[in-house]
Amino acid sequence: MTNLSIKEKSIKEKSVIEKPIIEKEKTLAIINSKAPYSNIAGKDALDIALIFASFEQAPALFFQGDGVWQLIADQNGSLISVKDYLKTFAAFEFYDIEDIYVCQESLNARNLSASFHIEKVQMLSKQAFAQQLATYNSILRF
Amino acid sequence: MATLHIVRQSAFASNDLAQCISSLCRKDTVALIDDGCYNMQHSLIKSIDSKMDIQLHVLAKHAQARALAINETEFSKMNMENLVELTFSHDRVITWQ
Amino acid sequence: MKKLAVLITSPPCSNLSVTALDYIETALKTGIELVGVFFYQDGVLHANKQVVIASDEFQAVNHWKTLQQTYQLPLFLCVTAAEKRGLSDEQPENINAIFTVAGLGELVELTNKADRLVQF
Repeated sequence: MTNLSIKEKSIKEKSVIEKPIIEKEKTLAIINSKAPYSNIAGKDALDIALIFASFEQAPALFFQGDGVWQLIADQNGSLISVKDYLKTFAAFEFYDIEDIYVCQESLNARNLSASFHIEKVQMLSKQAFAQQLATYNSILRF
Repeated sequence: MATLHIVRQSAFASNDLAQCISSLCRKDTVALIDDGCYNMQHSLIKSIDSKMDIQLHVLAKHAQARALAINETEFSKMNMENLVELTFSHDRVITWQ
Repeated sequence: MKKLAVLITSPPCSNLSVTALDYIETALKTGIELVGVFFYQDGVLHANKQVVIASDEFQAVNHWKTLQQTYQLPLFLCVTAAEKRGLSDEQPENINAIFTVAGLGELVELTNKADRLVQF
């Protein structure tokens, strides 16, 4: 099961760190800008999201540009021999990843409705998206 | 509470600058480095609303390597030390690459 | 003292890495503390001993070596990204010893230690 193997992996990676984190925790936002399959950027971003979440520092996820394609429903990577990492998005709640934002303009440009394969996605106008992004200490983009 | 946006790709070839610009907040800074220097000539840069009060910087060495003239009425020339300074004078950094 | 963490995702043969190293070297010279550099995605290729760059071209690994020696700059290699690209800690002879093989958890640590996290 995808969920278990990711969790096992994150426990293994977490156990490598022996000293406790004593420094101030930073908030992290991850911008997803790539479509899901041809580019592994989405999976690489997800791995980072889950590791921060497993350290109880769940990042906020932003989907912009072609990144919004990662959210649309009814995708099936197995048809093209891709291990479908998108299915792991269903585990976001389990990992306390709750702040999920999608750029409304990017959806509109692609003629997409708000039909996502996960719940609790907040659609933001361009200005709201920019402002929300500016509330985090660190931002990574994939 | 301003953000430093480091743009490394040409808008003539990729979407990075467009996404950067749509993510700007008032008083943010855009630093053009690497192929981002080509954006000095791009209409998207000119489309930034002046009311946003965005600082535009370009890494002089990178522009010069690419034979790109810098219009200093629009762009501030910077060196790598300046980029490091900007990193800490802003609250966060987003790299658009 | 200002603290910086850097995430490297560009490979050694790319000019994007020249810029990354220039930024890091400049930061160190101006007294910024680099808490660590984390190599991810194609960035892990910086650690590949089998990489041969033509001798008249920019040798990224030499710069990493100098920084590591001069400033004790910690260089962390993401194990998962490395394995995908043929670098396994089971064949450590392929991995340049100046890099420490680490899990993504190290990136969490670096992010918390630093005042700024920058991606190159």
